[in-house]
Amino acid sequence: MTAALIEARALGKSFGPTPVLREVNLSVEAGRGAAVIGANGAGKSTLIRLLAGLSAPSAGGALLFGEPARALAPPLRRRVGLLSHQSFLYPNLTARENLEFYAALYGVDGARAAVAQWLERVALGGAADARVRGFSRGMEQRLALARALLARPDVLMLDEPFAALDADGAALAAALLREAIGRGCAVLASAHSAGAMEELGFAVFTLNRGKLVRPQASAVRQSPPRPSLARQFS
Amino acid sequence: MASFAARSFVAVLRKDLLLEVRGGQSTVALGALSLLVLVVLVFAFNPAGGERGAAAAAGALWVALVFSGMLGATRAVSGESENGCIRALLMSPLDRAALYAAKLAAAFIFMAVAEAASIILMVLFFNLEFDLRVMRLAPAVMLGALGFAALATLLAGISSRLRGGDLVLPLLAVPMFVPALIAGVKASAAALAGAPLGEFAVWLKVLVAFDVLFVAAGYLLFEYVAGEE
Repeated sequence: MTAALIEARALGKSFGPTPVLREVNLSVEAGRGAAVIGANGAGKSTLIRLLAGLSAPSAGGALLFGEPARALAPPLRRRVGLLSHQSFLYPNLTARENLEFYAALYGVDGARAAVAQWLERVALGGAADARVRGFSRGMEQRLALARALLARPDVLMLDEPFAALDADGAALAAALLREAIGRGCAVLASAHSAGAMEELGFAVFTLNRGKLVRPQASAVRQSPPRPSLARQFS
Repeated sequence: MASFAARSFVAVLRKDLLLEVRGGQSTVALGALSLLVLVVLVFAFNPAGGERGAAAAAGALWVALVFSGMLGATRAVSGESENGCIRALLMSPLDRAALYAAKLAAAFIFMAVAEAASIILMVLFFNLEFDLRVMRLAPAVMLGALGFAALATLLAGISSRLRGGDLVLPLLAVPMFVPALIAGVKASAAALAGAPLGEFAVWLKVLVAFDVLFVAAGYLLFEYVAGEE
């Protein structure tokens, strides 16, 4: 059995007396994808934040590579990519400067060439030297996706990756996600609806009032060539 | 590993300075604040030169240093809040101590630039001479700027995560900095009054001791204040 790279074990989170997540069990193995869907306020972003180690669980465990996500050593942090609601980009830096900064932090080999390549891949080659402050939301999302993928992470977590993207942008993002899974990356994404995630072959789960609901047979399409083996324990 | 930490430090500091050059918000605001403080105090004290004038000038300079330091450290740390960049930094392999060191260095540089301008204004407003006595101010002011930047950067890591954090920073930072502030004012007054080197050096040693304390505390604790959510 392949070890899970992303794992939630009876994971719970409360803000004050209000529970946001309850007993969430989920694991994603290398080369697989899982998606969590739900309405606004269902707890999708909280789940991603907990699994990214940015927030402390109130109960249970959030693990990456089998280690507590909050206490990952720097070499393991280097292998994690996160796309959040917030772009993590500096508005007064150019697209190229933003990526070069993160390339330096992640110790990306051949940073300059890698950055130029990623800017082309997300169709921002022509805006490479423009400041992010002037970008549309869609351009910013594509650059944020490039930032998350720049260091070729083994674990990728995406909070609504298709948000703000037009049809071309969404197709580009989908191609990048397929490629990441193809090279063995474990991907966990959140979304409002299942459609695009099913097309990617992700196992789709629903968050309802903080509980992760087992996917109905029709909701999970085990589409070739890499069916998702993300499993829900509960 | 050490070279990676050093490269990360350089990357963060370079980025902060680049953003400052682009925006110029910190340095302009610090300079304006220092000017305001000096103008108010020069009219309040109406200095006539001599030892009392030197003491008044030293006091005014350190008031400007404290205010500009709070603004500089807040800028250096809270700048990361925009678009959630601090989360990306905390998720990256970047060593938290390297992050603290880079933020401290940025805050110190912003303060040092503002202090250099403040010293020039102080000499003009308080009718002092640009001579050796003013040169002797430099070590006291730089040590004070380093200590205050170290303390304020650590505390800004806490206050930037709180509602009303702008109010919390001065409430925490100023009382903790008071002993170093007294040493800095005494050292500066002694330097401006042309006191013997021995009298001046005693206060510098106190400043060095507080700098070691504040820098070590920040280096060790920043990981915890920046990482908690």
